[in-house]
Amino acid sequence: MAKIGLYLCECGPNIADAIDLDRVAAEIEKDGKVAGIERHKLFCSADGKKFLAESIKKNGFERFVIAACSPKQHEGTFAEVASDVGLNPQMFQLVNIREQCAWTVPDKEQATGKALRFIRAAVTRVQYHQALEQKEIDCNPDVFVIGGGIAGIEVALRTAHKGRKVFLAEKGELGGMLKERGLLFPAMEPAGDFLGPRIDALRNNPQIELFENCKVKEVLGFFGSFVALLETQEGKEIELKAGSVVLATGAQAFNPKELAEYGYGKLDGVYTADEIEKRGVGKLLTESAKPVKSVAVIHCVGRDKLGYCSKMCCVNSMKIARQIREQSAETEVVELYRDLCLPGKGYDRFYKETEAKGVKFARFESVEVTGGDSGLTVKYKQPGGTGAELAVDMVVLSTGLAANPSNPELADMLSISVDESGFFVEEHAVLNPVSTMTEGVFIAGCARGPGDTRDTIVQASATAGKVLSSLVPGKRLQLETRTSEVSEKLCVGCGTCVTVCAYGATTLDESRHIAVVNEVLCRGCGNCASACPSGAAKHRHFTTRQLNQEVTEILK
Amino acid sequence: MAENNNVLVIGAGLAGIEASLLLSNAGRKVYLVERNSYFGGTVIKSEEVFPNMECATCMIAPKQSQLLEDKNIELLTLTDVTDVQGDVGDFTVKLASRARYVSLVNCIGCGACFEPCPVSVDNEFEEGLMKRKAIFLACAGALPNAPAIDMDCCLRAKGEDCTACKDACMFDAISFEEKDEEKEIKVGAIIVATGYQLGDVSRFPEYGYGKIENVFHAFEFERLRASNGPTEGAIKTRDGREPKSIGLIHCVGRDAGGYCSQVCCMYLTKFACYAFDKVEGVEVHEFFQELSTPGKAGQKFLDEAKEKGVKLVRARGVELSGNGEGVRITYQDGKTGKDTVDVDMVVLAPCIEPNSGADALAKLLGIEPGDFGFFKTTEFDPVATKRAGIFVAGCNEGPKSMQDVVVQAEAAVAAVLNGSKADTAVRRQDPAQD
Repeated sequence: MAKIGLYLCECGPNIADAIDLDRVAAEIEKDGKVAGIERHKLFCSADGKKFLAESIKKNGFERFVIAACSPKQHEGTFAEVASDVGLNPQMFQLVNIREQCAWTVPDKEQATGKALRFIRAAVTRVQYHQALEQKEIDCNPDVFVIGGGIAGIEVALRTAHKGRKVFLAEKGELGGMLKERGLLFPAMEPAGDFLGPRIDALRNNPQIELFENCKVKEVLGFFGSFVALLETQEGKEIELKAGSVVLATGAQAFNPKELAEYGYGKLDGVYTADEIEKRGVGKLLTESAKPVKSVAVIHCVGRDKLGYCSKMCCVNSMKIARQIREQSAETEVVELYRDLCLPGKGYDRFYKETEAKGVKFARFESVEVTGGDSGLTVKYKQPGGTGAELAVDMVVLSTGLAANPSNPELADMLSISVDESGFFVEEHAVLNPVSTMTEGVFIAGCARGPGDTRDTIVQASATAGKVLSSLVPGKRLQLETRTSEVSEKLCVGCGTCVTVCAYGATTLDESRHIAVVNEVLCRGCGNCASACPSGAAKHRHFTTRQLNQEVTEILK
Repeated sequence: MAENNNVLVIGAGLAGIEASLLLSNAGRKVYLVERNSYFGGTVIKSEEVFPNMECATCMIAPKQSQLLEDKNIELLTLTDVTDVQGDVGDFTVKLASRARYVSLVNCIGCGACFEPCPVSVDNEFEEGLMKRKAIFLACAGALPNAPAIDMDCCLRAKGEDCTACKDACMFDAISFEEKDEEKEIKVGAIIVATGYQLGDVSRFPEYGYGKIENVFHAFEFERLRASNGPTEGAIKTRDGREPKSIGLIHCVGRDAGGYCSQVCCMYLTKFACYAFDKVEGVEVHEFFQELSTPGKAGQKFLDEAKEKGVKLVRARGVELSGNGEGVRITYQDGKTGKDTVDVDMVVLAPCIEPNSGADALAKLLGIEPGDFGFFKTTEFDPVATKRAGIFVAGCNEGPKSMQDVVVQAEAAVAAVLNGSKADTAVRRQDPAQD
């Protein structure tokens, strides 16, 4: 049997006063399972760590148990001591007799008894600990970007480096939704002035390779080593290798055809905001080529159907309204809105400027557009329920943003999810907003949810930050040591572990009918080990044997 | 001359933490400077975070622990930046650290020193809703897990020879002899992440804050709900009653300030959820001007609160007046004219402002304060300031949600990591980067 040392930390009076450590030492000694017991006032102190290291070396302990505080606080501290004295860092067990005994059990007798059980369990468990190797793999620092809108372009420009190539695949032409825009709010600069130089920079950068009019057929592999297969329009296949994948698939305008109340597609003079921008918001003419004298801009088109506020449409429609007023001061523009969404430091002012240009604002609860010989009628219900009517020459529908319909297919390819609206789901909505559950797969821009141009750019930069920080050329990737494995002998290939793995780390090897764990992706959560009906999936540091022995000892 | 790869991050809130961890992961040495004795910023004031109502501390604490263990990151608490000279790739920065009087090496955070301290003052972290000692931890769980002595109120500063805390310490962690220190560091880039504060609501007499007893501001309500706060999470009026009705007032100071703080609609809705969770049968009224729930999760979150029973009232001209122990809310409803609602307590959502000292810091760094005192960035490079090598992240650039704070911090990291000379061909497109 391995030579095990036991260390009892007094934590000043914290443990020493609440637990009878003399009795603990005496009883454990009686059990005869440890080769030595030492006490210290405070093992986590510089003096304590030195004492611990020297004692392990002097006594030749091969494993040790330290009864002290929460592993959350000092597991790392003692793992480092283990490494320093040449032990594998898995070869010890930290028992929490402070938070779980000293601080929570007021009766000293009971606290001592509980601590004893915990320590005995740890002494038993530690005998079954296995040395785990800290594995490293080479990483491919190159980036594969899917989508050539502004999000994808920004990611490419911000990650392409000496030592790092970027491959950008776009199913159509570069530029995304922005190439249809006239001006960008709130600066009111032509979108082309912004986009043009960026596309030039993209084309002129030797580190960036563009694949326009290409479809992504398949992405295999994992963080640090993805392989993507593209297909050109001519049916030619291209294989790419990259360390990370960025989904920048953008969004598309909600199509108001399915909502009858707007008369879109049926009535002359009803346009979406995008159509107006594409026509150019110059002198607006009716279908019969007469100047447009009055326009109603209707907000929140599709919002109820989509189930969310698209954030950019309020300000975007104000941009159009003020352009109309600037072109022709005789044209009346009324914005019909529900709630004005003007988040952040710049948009209240934009709204006031728009009002100052003579754009009128009216709140509605419901709205209906009908046609007649003399033009269009917008009937709407005001707050409080009274009805109102506007006779206008033109209606502009400020549509929300809907997810790109190709998202689910890509999500499937990369083992990530889309939400009920079709946007990619983040690893964590708040803390990891541009990464996904598959390590090395990132999302930026409207692929992860509706937003404006500025949001998209900052998210693309964030993605670049994550890529640059995690895949440094020449630096090897350190893998999680406490991972899972599947026994080839015991596995029946039922696939339960594949279903419960949140990280896409377990897959079925179809040819051998067994599950395999990808150590690069596995984060050691243990879901597979607990779900496996045949005992084939096992967590390397929480084996059935370790847990069984530990729990049995506690329950004795 | 070789470019210095070290990075200074100013402010150790959510943005500063995220930026530091990513920079360290890329192999950079990071000096993370924080003016308070604890780090974690305003996030750690919250109990839960919208839209998923996750425990805020549980989310941020693992990042904090990771940071404390990270050998590439030097966290300097109680520290201010006093001077910045030089240029991108070669900044010389002077730092001034105030004495903590407690050794971060020796202290284990047992708290034995608190009880014997004879001083009692308002706890600023708890918005004055409870007291603290001269030797104190901002709140239970604050990190680093070691107190600091506030010499502004310690008896020793008044000439008394009190050694109560030192006598109680078993780890020889307290030293009254510790001196303030100055230090000079060299860095290649700087990220400014100094966060925000809530606007002073007593500026607006119509809300009666400070005069009407049961009018609270948002941080006060967060601390009431916080399980490590003054009431251990029980929502109570100042006289200790459980409220039967609560009024939540949106857009406090928006008209005067001239901008929308972006997150108040969401966090007040979170407050409504807090109330429904903690107080059985409570009535919650939200008085809003415009409901702003941008993005894919906002509407759903609001709908959930509606299902729980929150009453949403569109209102202008909200005025508060005392009504016995409670508060009377008078408002214009836009339909029938003036109306009133009586409630037991009111919570105000003040506008989000740049943190105090932002102006002075902008001057010191040679970057521009922009609209409303938030730091100015290039329109389409929302982390770049006019000074090359200095980037901003988080709410000092403008009000934003936690999610957007993290995003911007990661973007600032990209700007730092991408700022190397090999990259100028790409960056030429952004004048702010040259």
